[in-house]
Amino acid sequence: MVSNVLYHCPCLSASSVPPPPHLESSAYSFHPLHTLFFCEECDAVRCNRCVSVEVSGYYCPNCLFEVPSASVRAEKNRCARNCFMCPNCRNTLSVVPSDPPDAGDGRLSAPISTVGEPPFFLYCNHCRWDSSEVGITFEKPTGLAAQLQKLEDYAPESLEFDRLKEHFEPILRASSLSSSSSVAPSISHSHHHSNPITAAASAALARDIPGVAKYTPHARSGRPSGKDRSANKDEMPEYKSRLDINHASTYGSGGGDVDVELMRRLEDVSEIASLEQRWNYSWSTSLETRDLKPLRIPLHSKRSKRCPACTHILIKPEQKAQSVRYKIKLVAANYLPAITVALPHQIEMLGHISAEAAKRSTKAPVDDDKDTRGGLQAGKTYPFHMSLTNPLYDPIQVRLSVQRMHVAAAVSSGEGGTIDKARRPPFAISIPTTPFSVAPFAEAWEYEDDEEMFGLDDDELEARLSGREKEPKPRSKTVGILEKRANVTVVGGEVALGKEARGEVKFNMLVAYTYRSDDPAPSEGHDISPSKKAALETKTFAFYTVVDLGNIIPKEEARIDPYDV
Amino acid sequence: MAPIRDKFTIHSKAIVCQDVELKGDITIGSGTIVHPKATIFAVAGPIVIGSGCIIEESAIIVNRRKEVMRIGDDNLFEIGCRIEAPSIGFFNTFSTRSRVHHTVRISSFCVIGANCVLAPADDDTLSDYTVVYGPSAERRTWTGKGKIQEADLRRKHAEYLREMLPKFNRLRRGDGT
Repeated sequence: MVSNVLYHCPCLSASSVPPPPHLESSAYSFHPLHTLFFCEECDAVRCNRCVSVEVSGYYCPNCLFEVPSASVRAEKNRCARNCFMCPNCRNTLSVVPSDPPDAGDGRLSAPISTVGEPPFFLYCNHCRWDSSEVGITFEKPTGLAAQLQKLEDYAPESLEFDRLKEHFEPILRASSLSSSSSVAPSISHSHHHSNPITAAASAALARDIPGVAKYTPHARSGRPSGKDRSANKDEMPEYKSRLDINHASTYGSGGGDVDVELMRRLEDVSEIASLEQRWNYSWSTSLETRDLKPLRIPLHSKRSKRCPACTHILIKPEQKAQSVRYKIKLVAANYLPAITVALPHQIEMLGHISAEAAKRSTKAPVDDDKDTRGGLQAGKTYPFHMSLTNPLYDPIQVRLSVQRMHVAAAVSSGEGGTIDKARRPPFAISIPTTPFSVAPFAEAWEYEDDEEMFGLDDDELEARLSGREKEPKPRSKTVGILEKRANVTVVGGEVALGKEARGEVKFNMLVAYTYRSDDPAPSEGHDISPSKKAALETKTFAFYTVVDLGNIIPKEEARIDPYDV
Repeated sequence: MAPIRDKFTIHSKAIVCQDVELKGDITIGSGTIVHPKATIFAVAGPIVIGSGCIIEESAIIVNRRKEVMRIGDDNLFEIGCRIEAPSIGFFNTFSTRSRVHHTVRISSFCVIGANCVLAPADDDTLSDYTVVYGPSAERRTWTGKGKIQEADLRRKHAEYLREMLPKFNRLRRGDGT
């Protein structure tokens, strides 16, 4: 119900005019300001949907070690250095020595050595799971990844996969030979390579080079020619798997009788591993919780984002994993004025509620009164305040205009139009249309007229929060520039709701601002482009926003069902 | 409500800081350490705390029932926890901000994880070696591995505090006040 302002990103579409906000599909083109970027070259707003993302580095979230991209593939996107994830609660496991032998109750026979005693095992501090429950112990506290690697390599799934690869290699090689211009896939190995680097090298050797006779270590009976191609392909030997498929389900949740038996014998639901516990594994594993094995921690990536049109980098994080800052940070908040909207009668109402709540601590708040007083009631006129904050070091001239909504031919959703009729003409917005200026951003101490303004604000606030509902301040106008303070300008507008109005009060607003850069001092993150260096050069930028003032409480249902909002 | 009569029986080897709020009939065993800003309220019935316990800051131990609330030895009550369990065994750990209702009886070697709320509707007993963790307070049983090292660590923790706390905090001595 809180009123907010969202910014429109055209997302490379041809027309920059956003869709009218009462359409459902328009929700996707509007974003809050803090999620938007600004490309300086194209002079355009970019959002997370239109920006192109690329990985700028990988790191382990536990040890914060930056993994070079070559090892990422070799280590299968996991940390290679002793970082393990508890299969039960997915926290980090620590390597822990076993307890020394226990003589009696609570009395230690010998002081515990600092290194600890083997066998070592993995231990989760959070849920107290330890790897001895699945039978994994280590003799040394370091080099765990290597010790576990052996286990992983001899898992039935890996062996089965390797066998499949061996089976299909000759066939793929044959088919790649027979095709005339083949860019041979890297799977044409001559024999099984465990090391991906030598595999890649042998694939490069086996690649088809036009003009050079192909080297084949095996003599093939059906030497490939055009006619024999199909015959070769059909001659695929049958694959014999290592394990019988019926027994395979003991290793993984392959369905079948084993799983059914498990379910029949089930005593407690916690014996079955939950989805969050299972979906991090590469292969489908057994369903039981006690079979869950510790996993190496998957790596996270740092991403950099580029403008889709001109491919300039908008966001580039620092290389170090532990730093959260950015080398390049072209965010829209540094370029576009931040607009917030507030309804003064809501603020007043909130002040009353909190004052009343402070007085009577246990009584439940009266909800329907709150809704009708604080919400937007059909048939009334409400003023609203919009504050614009200027992030630039230069003053800007802002001009606002409400976008006309073509709603004459709008159809209701086919339900007779009584429920959720888009509030089309039912409200009228009036905002100041004359250009007004907003002061530039500067350090807090540089604003001279601060104290006066703040004094006024305190009085106003007191007048609003305490006492009865009265005219907050005798204002001569509610529409127009209300105040200017530091680099913020507050303008007031009015929304008049029709008697039959329903739904949300949302309207598109075009904000056009011009700024002059007469001193070439760069703002944050700017690339100094030539046009700015010229003195008194004015640049104009315009963007659309959608202002959402909240839901309208329909008139006739105001008393009956206050929760209809 | 009858006025609460304060009666504190604090062992001479226990370390109770000046800034602790004590109310009611409280017995504190030897070697127990109560950090400043802890709260022990024996509102309706007495509280008996065993030896070697560590009660950290902002911990709240409340007894709202008439029966005696017995807390065993070597328990750790971390910062911000709120305990109303009528009986607690030994070597338990109540992590930061955990809350235990008065319907739960806790045995020994249990661990209540951080921010976990143990408030079952009916009377419940946590058996030995239960670990409660996660936002929805899931439970599982600990095998007990590592308990000797943890016991050793807790003793060292208590010894360290016994040395350091009196250097920086005023201690409450003896009976009353």
